Amino acid sequence: MITIEDLTVSFGAVQALRNVSFVAETGKITAVLGANGAGKTTLLRTISGLKEPKTGTIRLDDQSLVHKRTEDIARLGIGHVPEGRGVIGEFTVEENLRLGAMMARVNLLQGLQEQYELFPVLGERRKQHAAKLSGGERQMLAMARALIAKPSVLLLDEPSLGLAPLVTAQLMHTIQSLCESSDLTVILVEQNATSALRIAHHAVVLHVGKVVANDTAANVSANDNLRQYYLGLVE
Amino acid sequence: MKLIAVRRRVPIAIAIAVAVTIIALVAASTTREGIALSIAFDLAVACGIAMSVPGFKADHPVVSRAALTLLALDVAIFLTFFFSSSTNFNLATGAAMSIVLLGLSFLTGASGQISLGNGAFMGVGAFAMAIWANHHATTPIVLTLLIAVACGALVGLLLGLPATRLRGPYLAGMTLAFAVAFTFILSSFSSWTGGDSGLQLPTAATAPRWLDGFFHAGTPPLTTTTLYITDVAIIVAGVAFFFMANLFASRTGRSMRLIRDNDVAAELVGVSLPRTRVVAFIVSSAYAALGGALLTLIDNSVSPPTYSFALSVTILSLIVIGGIGTISGALIGGVIYAFSTNVISWITTQTGLNPQGNLASQLNGIIFGGLLILTMLFAPFGITGAARQLWHRLRARFPR
Amino acid sequence: MDPFLTSRIVTDVLSGLTNGVTYGLVALSLVLIWRSTGVLNFAQGAMPMFATYLGFAFLSYHFGYWACVVACVIAGLLLGGLTERFLVRGLYGKPEINPIVVMVGFLIVLEAVAAAIWSSTPRSLPSPFSAIHWQLAGKPFALSPFTVYEIATALVVMALVAALFRFTKLGLQLRASALAPEVSRLLGVRVGRLLTLGWMLSTAVGVITAILVSANFFSGLTPTVMDGIFAYGFIAAAIGGLESPVGAIVAGVLLGVVNQFVTDFVNQNAVIIIALGILVVSLMVRPSGVFTKSSQRRV
Repeated sequence: MITIEDLTVSFGAVQALRNVSFVAETGKITAVLGANGAGKTTLLRTISGLKEPKTGTIRLDDQSLVHKRTEDIARLGIGHVPEGRGVIGEFTVEENLRLGAMMARVNLLQGLQEQYELFPVLGERRKQHAAKLSGGERQMLAMARALIAKPSVLLLDEPSLGLAPLVTAQLMHTIQSLCESSDLTVILVEQNATSALRIAHHAVVLHVGKVVANDTAANVSANDNLRQYYLGLVE
Repeated sequence: MKLIAVRRRVPIAIAIAVAVTIIALVAASTTREGIALSIAFDLAVACGIAMSVPGFKADHPVVSRAALTLLALDVAIFLTFFFSSSTNFNLATGAAMSIVLLGLSFLTGASGQISLGNGAFMGVGAFAMAIWANHHATTPIVLTLLIAVACGALVGLLLGLPATRLRGPYLAGMTLAFAVAFTFILSSFSSWTGGDSGLQLPTAATAPRWLDGFFHAGTPPLTTTTLYITDVAIIVAGVAFFFMANLFASRTGRSMRLIRDNDVAAELVGVSLPRTRVVAFIVSSAYAALGGALLTLIDNSVSPPTYSFALSVTILSLIVIGGIGTISGALIGGVIYAFSTNVISWITTQTGLNPQGNLASQLNGIIFGGLLILTMLFAPFGITGAARQLWHRLRARFPR
Repeated sequence: MDPFLTSRIVTDVLSGLTNGVTYGLVALSLVLIWRSTGVLNFAQGAMPMFATYLGFAFLSYHFGYWACVVACVIAGLLLGGLTERFLVRGLYGKPEINPIVVMVGFLIVLEAVAAAIWSSTPRSLPSPFSAIHWQLAGKPFALSPFTVYEIATALVVMALVAALFRFTKLGLQLRASALAPEVSRLLGVRVGRLLTLGWMLSTAVGVITAILVSANFFSGLTPTVMDGIFAYGFIAAAIGGLESPVGAIVAGVLLGVVNQFVTDFVNQNAVIIIALGILVVSLMVRPSGVFTKSSQRRV
């Protein structure tokens, strides 16, 4: 469970997040929605310790994450799949996965096996350089690399960006089934609200750094105002 | 409207006023010293007036810089008449060095690159000067200096060609290799460069006849020559600073600074990256050569060990301590260079070190290297930057 | 025996190889640091020199050669680590001239301090192997037991570094933090420690070079013993492309051979001039290095 309270983050004079508070429950998918520049990526980067908050607290269960180093936060079991996926193109698929498994005390071979079962295409291309993969494959690799460490929290930054609708649907399905089969807490940052709301349990809508809605995914979906003004979904 | 018209007339008015005063003084005084003194005083006053006119600097940037240069030259030359011969000698070397520093400051300030070979470029100028003077003893000093500058620029062009495509570390390493290679180049052409012993100038530069009155005939010839050379060095440095100040402010200078700050953006707005980089490098080499040539003139000789890699490092230290990328930094660095030997030997005697000992002989490197590191870590823009910061803080605390 | 082995060409190639491996090692150590931290370490010659002085200070306590070598390497590891922590750490992300200037300053300070403590007089280091060249059918052969030791050590060090990067967990993390520091941190890689480790490793490689160089060359160990080697090492690294360890080593070895031919067929003074010429030309033809595949620029 991730609890965020009164979080304010600024870049110089610009406030990227203002008094953001919400809870991401264990075993649930929390979607963070909003337009470009709403502060979604900043939120994830702050949770991961890549950005220092100005005020506020972030807790993993009962442990404060503020002022911790990024690598220590990762070692607490928070997997962050960054925007643009962040796979290392010069590494092979398997090297990327080995890097992901490095810090966790898991059996490497078993972990690789599990990921190749979850994403069969990665198993086929294990010796290929990640730079040679397609966009969807890279996204899978990035997720597999985070999952192989058996995280308790998964932060996903725009996983559907640049993917074909069919691939996106498949990906969302994978996220959903992962969440159901384990006690994984997922924070899913998306611009693509429709597909995110379809699988999310809870949704937080950000607008210029402020929380404008914090409700169940169903309620957010049903709210026409939100849909129209903040999510850009017009029927 | 009217105000602007008045401002435009100011320089003309001043010029006329100066001319009139000079003529009046010439008529009035009987000794040459008297004339010299009154010219010096008048010039200082005129330049001071010109620069204190509000808005003058903005409306006539070039004239204003010329006035500042004249004022500085005037004061400096006036002072040299009161200094001892050894102080003047130090000042002259400092002036020559400040030209070299100015070139490096421009390279870094304008294009974000760095050269570790400016000592070698200085050597190019120094040897070009000596070789030419040995073959054509009658050439006037100014022309010989220009030839030396041309040689420096040419070598700069040769080495700078690949620099057009390179980023900082490559250029730094390549110029380092040049600095290391330079002494070997000198010995390869020993029939021209005089091998290990170097070259002597055929005749010491002495003041022309018509200046006899100023460079006292009564004093020992060595003192007179030193004084004359010091003043020549100061004037050359003044001209070099004047040109550089204009270059910094020009379109070229501005586009170079854009490259330093963001080369991608610079290319997008149409600044030619390769050309600007190579021009900056050539200018810096040419300035280094000018400084080297002046040093030959001051020392009356040139010897290869002077132009080792250590000199390039000294140059780098001086400009970093003075303030890299700034004009005043070069001036400060030059002054530090002029008196560094004295200061270091003072430290040696004060701390009671054995002057022949290992530590004393290495004090120069330890102090300069240490200052180089500390400056870069804690005040990356050197004394100039620190002074500016202090000034801004004072302004903020005591607003007008 | 075969006169071919003592011919001028073979002699030049083999002596060139002996020097070339040391250039290759310096180039390799430069590339290691450049790739991981984006710093061109101008003190890459001076730091190992200093560590070598420190290590061989134990000689006067009647420790043997090998004990001193170990001491040198340990001193190098410490010096490299401390340098990264206290001198370089604050410079990442600053304009690229800042680390250059600081490392040049460090070079000067180290050389001056070394000369102040141990004097500039050359110091001869003991050698575990004879430097007397073998004779083949009454003619001198290009190699001696010492040069074989030198080449073998260099090759072993190169192979060890390659194996470390290729086959170990540590190597994977080192490569990852060089290529993508932020992503590596998100995966729990302690990038800061790895950068320190990279500097330690690179200095240790340099120390081994310094030990070989100061025992092999007639000059012995002096505060400036690495200056020339550093210049050639840089030239090799730049020709090979600062990004490529293999390119750096190959270029270093080739440069050594070329230098030997120039020494033999032209003269000693021409060596650095021609090396500089090769550098200028190769940079004009392939600005990002002869051995690198892409010329992509990081914006």
